[in-house]
Amino acid sequence: MKPTPHIYALTNSSLLFDASYLDATDRLSIQRKIWALASHCKSTDEFSDLVPAMNSLTLYLKSDKHANKWLQVLPSLWNDIKTSTFKGQHHLIETTYKGEDIDYVARYHNLSADEVINIHSNTKYHVLFLGFQPGFAYLHGLEEQLHTPRRDEPRTRVPKGSVAIGAAQTGIYPADTPGGWHIIGHTDTALFDSTSEQPCLIQPGDTLEFVPLVNKGATHD
Amino acid sequence: MIKVLKSGVLLTIQDFGREGYRHLGVSKAGSLDPFAQIIANRLLNNNDNDAVLEITVGLCELEFSCDTVIALHGSDLQATLDGQAIYPGWTFAVKNKQVLSFATGRAGLRAYLAVKGGIQNTEVMGSKSTDLNACFGGIEGRALTTGDEIPITPYYGEFIKVGAMAPAQRKLIRLHPSPHANLLGEPLLSNFVSTAFKVSSNSNRMGVRLEHKSSLVHSHCLPSLGVSPGSIQLPPNGEPIVLLNDGQTTGGYPLLGTVIEADLHQFAQFRPLDTVEFKYVTFEEAAKAKQKLDGHLHQLSLALKNNL
Repeated sequence: MKPTPHIYALTNSSLLFDASYLDATDRLSIQRKIWALASHCKSTDEFSDLVPAMNSLTLYLKSDKHANKWLQVLPSLWNDIKTSTFKGQHHLIETTYKGEDIDYVARYHNLSADEVINIHSNTKYHVLFLGFQPGFAYLHGLEEQLHTPRRDEPRTRVPKGSVAIGAAQTGIYPADTPGGWHIIGHTDTALFDSTSEQPCLIQPGDTLEFVPLVNKGATHD
Repeated sequence: MIKVLKSGVLLTIQDFGREGYRHLGVSKAGSLDPFAQIIANRLLNNNDNDAVLEITVGLCELEFSCDTVIALHGSDLQATLDGQAIYPGWTFAVKNKQVLSFATGRAGLRAYLAVKGGIQNTEVMGSKSTDLNACFGGIEGRALTTGDEIPITPYYGEFIKVGAMAPAQRKLIRLHPSPHANLLGEPLLSNFVSTAFKVSSNSNRMGVRLEHKSSLVHSHCLPSLGVSPGSIQLPPNGEPIVLLNDGQTTGGYPLLGTVIEADLHQFAQFRPLDTVEFKYVTFEEAAKAKQKLDGHLHQLSLALKNNL
């Protein structure tokens, strides 16, 4: 029998589709199906919000009349949906790799700063989901060589646009915030603009690469 | 215009908040007590979603620079208009240069002030609400401070002088079941529903933290999942957090359940040291509770129509 994800009614008008316990060697392939499922559900116009997270999707219905229908329909949709129906955008994030902690990260791994830059910028990252702050993307794909424990003492202010590493993750801070990740670079790319029609540059399901900038575009130092 | 002479503890502009942006990490924001917002707006024949002022604790002072009509709802924070008492649930005419002052209340935490026509700040991402964490909406994305000018439209016309009751307060909060019941186990969940919690002073618009003496400590770790206002997170230290409107959109703590829609607004009024208890109910009971509240609002609308 094919394992099926768990589906829970959270409230009269919200459902949790949970595929996180599925024993898959490739978590990214499950995440791709989650994005495809979210994209399909969005096209029905029956949901006010669809929130992909780590191998799960929370569905917020506009009306509680349809909750039972979706509880029943979701398992077969999951089986039928083709990952290939979902295609995200690819973003190039121009980055000045002169972060406050880049030398620390290099020393920690016995690498040179240039090697850290090479490894970090030669990876294609997948945007798993957004959370924490508007526009903050949870990225998949940081090379194990760069996994670095968080700072002992978090900074009270990590500047907007910081490119940072925290344990097995890397990410970009969309706004000034306290944070404990190691800052390896900065980008001027605006990730979140509340006044724009499309407020977030990056969406779940997109991919991105960091492009090293040399001696230009830096506004931080 | 309304000029802020004293901002008090936390004064913000709110409406129903934002929908459709949760996948981008954007919180709902919006009035913690949407029923108080609706009732105050209906008393003025406003739209339900017209922006109002959410006043936390009180101790603020507002000066009107035009004539208008106002309605207060939510907690009684001992408001006075040029020294004359103003009561929640009633409409009052306000003249240019009059000052509305709030002391503080003996029960409840938040009052809602609606003005005729609603507050006229600019909408951001479909709402006039202030997002205090992401710093947008309202006025510059922040709580109001002394000297701020809140845009409103003058009103000199007629209005109905009527009162409206608030839905009853509850301390026994009804919940939808936990999606993590198997993970957390029956003993922990039955311990949870037989515990009387105290509201922590470490609570805010993001969430209400609950203190208690029994042990709900655990060591489970989950992949992040979508959370929303009403989700009750249980961090490993065993102190539950009821997420409110400014809460984050995803989180990794196990959930004890979700507060039913009809009861969530009660958390707008809980003060530190207030007691809260929980009870799991069926989806049918939750739907009935919602119908009862909707019925209350419907009756109010009928009564107002008959008074016109």
